[in-house]
Amino acid sequence: MIGLAQIGCYIPEKKISNLTLLDKFETDEVFIRDKIGVVQRARKEPEEKASDLCIKAYDNLLSKQSIELEEIKCCVVVTQNPDFNIPHTAAIVHGELGLSEDCASFDISLGCSGYVYALSIVTAFMQANGMEKGLLFTADPYSDIIDESDKNTALIFGDAGTVTLLDVNAQLKPLAFDFGTKGSGYKNLINSDKLYMNGRAVFNFSAATVPVSINKLLDKLDLSKNQIDRWYLHQGSKYIVDTITNRLDINKETVIFDMYEYGNTVSSSIPLLLSKDISKFQKGQKVALSGFGVGLSWASTILGKY
Amino acid sequence: MSNITAQQILDVLSEAKVVKDANALINDKPLAEQGIDSLDFSGVLFNIEEAFKVTIPDADIDGLKTINDIVSYVNNKK
Repeated sequence: MIGLAQIGCYIPEKKISNLTLLDKFETDEVFIRDKIGVVQRARKEPEEKASDLCIKAYDNLLSKQSIELEEIKCCVVVTQNPDFNIPHTAAIVHGELGLSEDCASFDISLGCSGYVYALSIVTAFMQANGMEKGLLFTADPYSDIIDESDKNTALIFGDAGTVTLLDVNAQLKPLAFDFGTKGSGYKNLINSDKLYMNGRAVFNFSAATVPVSINKLLDKLDLSKNQIDRWYLHQGSKYIVDTITNRLDINKETVIFDMYEYGNTVSSSIPLLLSKDISKFQKGQKVALSGFGVGLSWASTILGKY
Repeated sequence: MSNITAQQILDVLSEAKVVKDANALINDKPLAEQGIDSLDFSGVLFNIEEAFKVTIPDADIDGLKTINDIVSYVNNKK
């Protein structure tokens, strides 16, 4: 079975402080820090595209792990802000990295649930086609679509890219998944001209759906919540992570929160968190991942370390 | 079905963990003036919808400033 071997990340050095916007949005530092959970937002350069974030994440991966490019048989990019509508961003990344011509490449159009969805799609694709190594990228530069005057979105989103090396020999493997869609709510998080978010509707969706998804997954695997060593929930805001933590009634110390210095990076949020811990997991440990948002859609998984 | 009471709303506020002591809240004073911010209020509304099986449209929220407002609103909806 295919597993997660290593994760490379890129967070732009340039940051936009939310603390300079307190008067503009009639808010205060306590709200910014304790409720939104984003003190500053990572901001790419205007000319940088999703593929550039992917390439820089790959450079970071190379600093952690040597890779033979000809061994990579699958290159996938999760994004809804691609470089172009045509072609797919994965083809651009493929070309920039100089991957071999027998390497499959495609994009997956999903938002905050995208990483977990992609773990299932790509590991299954690789398994079905006898591929041993693949690269799963996430890069969704929302700074290109944010309305800086919209309090509902301007204080939240940051730019980043990640790449996960998937490898048949990796010891951190998905045990099961749970997916779902509430398509009737798609207008609550949508980019028609600029990004629009009905914060209350997205909050309600997340608070109602994610605990149910995770409990279904635990039942499927015959596990209890206290058998999960660490929880990696999509970093939508501190308030939603805290709310889901309370509703799941799990130990706060085991729930990872870390978006203060870069913001909500959409499909990159979970791999950014995982990248800090992936080399530390011990044999037998289990961790839960749940992504939720645009769609409205969700995906949860439990990874086990062998 | 019997009407809900202010105490039931306080219980929901307590469960939502938006204030240290929900029972110290004043029923006719705006919640926004008692330390409950806009995000907390979204959480409170979510818990009220769930607890009392009512739907609170966005358009109705401006009229829900105090615990008494919420009690009247929910009782009218039921």
